[in-house]
Amino acid sequence: MNKIPVIIDDKSFEVDPHKTILEVCRELDIEILTMCHLKGLTDIGACRLCLVEVEGINKLLSACTTKVAANMVIKTQTERIKKYQRITTELFFADRNHVCAVCVSNGKCELQNLGYKVELDRIRYPHLFPQCEVDTSHPWYVMDHNRCIMCTRCVRVCNEVEGAHNWDVMNRGHQVRIISDFNTPWGESSTCTSCGKCLHACPTGAIWPKAIVQGQLEKNPGMVNELVERRKMKL
Amino acid sequence: MNRNELQTMAEKAKEKHKQLKHKICVCCGASCISSGSEDVLKKLQDEIKTRGLENQIEVVPSGCMGPCNQGPLVKYMPENTIYQHINCENLDRVIQSQIVENKPLEDLLLFADSREKPFVNANEDPFFKKQQKIALKDCGDINPEEIEDYWAVGGYKALDKALFLMSPEEVIAEVKQSRIRGRGGAGYPTGLKWESVYKYVSDQKYVICNGDEGDPGAFMDRSVLEGNPHRILEGMAIAGYAIGASKGFAYIRGEYPLAIKRFELAIKQATKHGLLGKNILGSNFSFEVEVRIGAGAFVCGEETALIASIEGKRGTPKPRPPFPAESGLWGKPTLINNVETYAAIAPIIVNGGEWYSATGTPKSAGTKVFALAGKINYSGLIEVPMGTTLREIVFEIGGGIQGGGEFKAAQTGGPSGGCIPESHLDVSMDYESLVNLGSIMGSGGLIVMDKSSDMVDVARYFMEFCMDESCGKCVPCRVGTKMLHDLLQKIYDGKATQIDLDRLEELAVYVKEASLCGLGGSAPNPLLSTLRHFREEYESKILKEA
Repeated sequence: MNKIPVIIDDKSFEVDPHKTILEVCRELDIEILTMCHLKGLTDIGACRLCLVEVEGINKLLSACTTKVAANMVIKTQTERIKKYQRITTELFFADRNHVCAVCVSNGKCELQNLGYKVELDRIRYPHLFPQCEVDTSHPWYVMDHNRCIMCTRCVRVCNEVEGAHNWDVMNRGHQVRIISDFNTPWGESSTCTSCGKCLHACPTGAIWPKAIVQGQLEKNPGMVNELVERRKMKL
Repeated sequence: MNRNELQTMAEKAKEKHKQLKHKICVCCGASCISSGSEDVLKKLQDEIKTRGLENQIEVVPSGCMGPCNQGPLVKYMPENTIYQHINCENLDRVIQSQIVENKPLEDLLLFADSREKPFVNANEDPFFKKQQKIALKDCGDINPEEIEDYWAVGGYKALDKALFLMSPEEVIAEVKQSRIRGRGGAGYPTGLKWESVYKYVSDQKYVICNGDEGDPGAFMDRSVLEGNPHRILEGMAIAGYAIGASKGFAYIRGEYPLAIKRFELAIKQATKHGLLGKNILGSNFSFEVEVRIGAGAFVCGEETALIASIEGKRGTPKPRPPFPAESGLWGKPTLINNVETYAAIAPIIVNGGEWYSATGTPKSAGTKVFALAGKINYSGLIEVPMGTTLREIVFEIGGGIQGGGEFKAAQTGGPSGGCIPESHLDVSMDYESLVNLGSIMGSGGLIVMDKSSDMVDVARYFMEFCMDESCGKCVPCRVGTKMLHDLLQKIYDGKATQIDLDRLEELAVYVKEASLCGLGGSAPNPLLSTLRHFREEYESKILKEA
């Protein structure tokens, strides 16, 4: 396949034209922060952490949904981008009730890691402290909306990989919530197969198996893409 | 029906009107209906019948005539005499004077209560004089529920011309030459959009009409859909022919039941007469249109969210690229234009692109419909050439500020737009000039405010709207608009400090630049523009450090 030239952060590369900016950067070990992206699932450009500047385009583009083009000049590390990554992270933390010290994901959480990455020392916005449910109705799993960041990785893995479409989104704006079926308790869902993929796809401590104590949660988000690749081979 | 039959039917319809001495239009747009125009229509029709005048005078319901807060309106044609605030009681006096004695009834003439000398021919009134109607032409003069009325004013002639005398390329060239830009708000050149959809090769393409008008105080699209639905259908069919689509969707918001009803009726009539459906007018071109009703989400006016909604999915936007022109409805190349854009297509095809581009400014050609609202004497629907100044609109057409008050600001573009202060009253109303002032043209909402408006409260109101209407998909819009709203509330309550104000400004720019779609991308506009033009109002509310 013919490769095309691009410039990323002042360095020239020859890259595959069918790939997104994110895919290209990951292959080249250029770090781009993400939260809603999970390899193997459709990208939606929702978290806005992967925004990059592209010369000649006055908008910031999400790297996960934008394909590279010949002679694209991409900047991933400008002051503006770093500033926005920090604000986005702050907003994640202010949006719901993220209390790391008592979270099952403590120490293994993608949101927590993001906080370290952008050197978050404080959150300048008032915490919204919304009233969130903890759904423990499922026999094995728990859905804790306090920890949810609305990345919708659970929604997509359930729909695209498991094919069950148990998860969806309801409401608008800051009142959006992940719902099971048509907003029934997870344990009463008629579509959930209890496969547990959403648990691994979830980047935080929002979905976790029962009988886990604080800081003990081990997740394997990479299993999603492994599954997707394995199925492709079978076909 | 074929070409000749259309010609015959149009002539027949014209002939019918010629035999009548007068036509009386009773405005049956949503606004006049809500103030009782349907009773007036019924009574007037009965009276004409009782008096045995039905062979001389035709009484029809029409679409919006413009001066909405003077309704219910009744127009006596061809004299073009408009009567205002007509009800079943004062209607008798109008009948006696105008119809029986054939002299205008002075005290009920349009603007009789506010003008020294009201005009017998309404077109001479300053409200209409400065206007130029292209998209709204015939709206208010014809019965939107009768296809014959549309034929009588040359309806479907543009479609006929496009199908038989022009190639798709020529249609696109004509639209390009007209230099018309998208009337939904962003102002993307329509011809270029058509061309890019045309160039994509696909087994199926779609045409979509965006009628999900949601800006507070805006009712341009509703009035066009209610007043002249066939014009939109004709525009869509021409677009379908130009880009090679056989299927169109009109997405109309559910809050517009009358527009939906009349548009669906228009589809039925057009299909019955072979102006939609298979082999239109005997040509090789087939095109059908379906209505999709919006369920109340403002974000569904955003094109990718609208497309998701038509597909039956949750109405949330997608990042662009890919643009709908490449991958739109069900992944197929899709042309999506606003109602008002389609309304201008038939005149462009009939009169030529050059004719259209002669109106307006070099960069913003043609006319624009505005919905005047707020503290203005004559609120309603107007259409003016691009480049008309805000002062002309507010003071000459709109009759100035209510109660002799003082103008403070005009808000254009709804929750995506900004506020224009008094010092910029002479701004030319075109896309670029408005953007330079930190506002946008938007779809045409124009809310006039007097000195009693608090600009921080105005910004807070629009931010609340965006916060509630954000789809919640991306972080900047979902959480950012909530934070901005809370900060504005804090400032308005007099509890904020300079730090809050600095934070507000930083966050506003972040939400504008980092959001996924146009809703979040423009949500900070009312805030940023009021900060720019009325900063002192913010600063006066800030707590000074002790």
